[in-house]
Amino acid sequence: MKDTTRYVIFPLGEERYALDSSQVKELVMPSRVYSFPHTMRALEGVLVRRGAVIPVCDLRGAFRHGAERNLYVIARCNYAGRVETVAIPVSGDCELVQGERGEAPENVTFVTGLLRTGGRIIPLLALDEAVAHCIQPTALDREAKQ
Amino acid sequence: MRAVKEDERRTLFVPRSVKPVAATAGPVILFTAGGMRFAVEASEVEEIRDREERAAIRRLKGAEAIDFAQRVGLGAGVLERFVVLKPGECSLGVSEVERMTTLPKVVPLPGLFRGEERRWYRGLLLLENEVVPLVRTEYWRAAAQPVAQTGSGA
Repeated sequence: MKDTTRYVIFPLGEERYALDSSQVKELVMPSRVYSFPHTMRALEGVLVRRGAVIPVCDLRGAFRHGAERNLYVIARCNYAGRVETVAIPVSGDCELVQGERGEAPENVTFVTGLLRTGGRIIPLLALDEAVAHCIQPTALDREAKQ
Repeated sequence: MRAVKEDERRTLFVPRSVKPVAATAGPVILFTAGGMRFAVEASEVEEIRDREERAAIRRLKGAEAIDFAQRVGLGAGVLERFVVLKPGECSLGVSEVERMTTLPKVVPLPGLFRGEERRWYRGLLLLENEVVPLVRTEYWRAAAQPVAQTGSGA
């Protein structure tokens, strides 16, 4: 039976990555990020969408891409045993595609598999791992807990 | 009991809230510290003093003051006002007390914020065009308490 899973492809700097579309809630244009003091590295603040606040997580700590952003991919991720919604800034246009999912190559971090679509091979982003890697508590938090 | 004809059947529609759980807070006082805006529940505030008044109060009561901006990582603040928390033994040193507002929506901090901020704030207020942290007064009262002297046990 043909796999009908759809994927959202988006750029993080020079590379393009994919997420299963069931994990993606929406794509939004850049809007105001409300910031406030906190201790979690890589969390820039929150977006407000229809009365909900959504943390913005900059994945540059994992992918070392540039600071430019054209869209936010709002997706679900598992963090500390809970499903959380997170907004990921991405640097270009997104695509919705169908494709065939393959195994992840060995020794590649933050990738859960490879998506074959239209003659291209796109890494599938391990969003849970990437977010957990990026949002480590800062020194301020560690000092406060000592 | 009458049987329901096929053309009389109706889909049972149960409306569900599409918005996340949001509570409303009572009146809150907005203040700035370190160039950012925060809120504290008015019912938790004993009084607001300026710098000179506080010096006099401190001589009488010995109330402990916290440099709020510094404690939340914004650097040493310009302490022009002191928000004295009930019952009056602790105050938050802040730059400015702006105004009071009523019945703002309060949403919990998103779960990705897992650091000390969960103790600093009760939630986030959704004001018009703004998101403002609502301070958790019980944490700040405890933070102002002098650390109990304990023996070394050696």
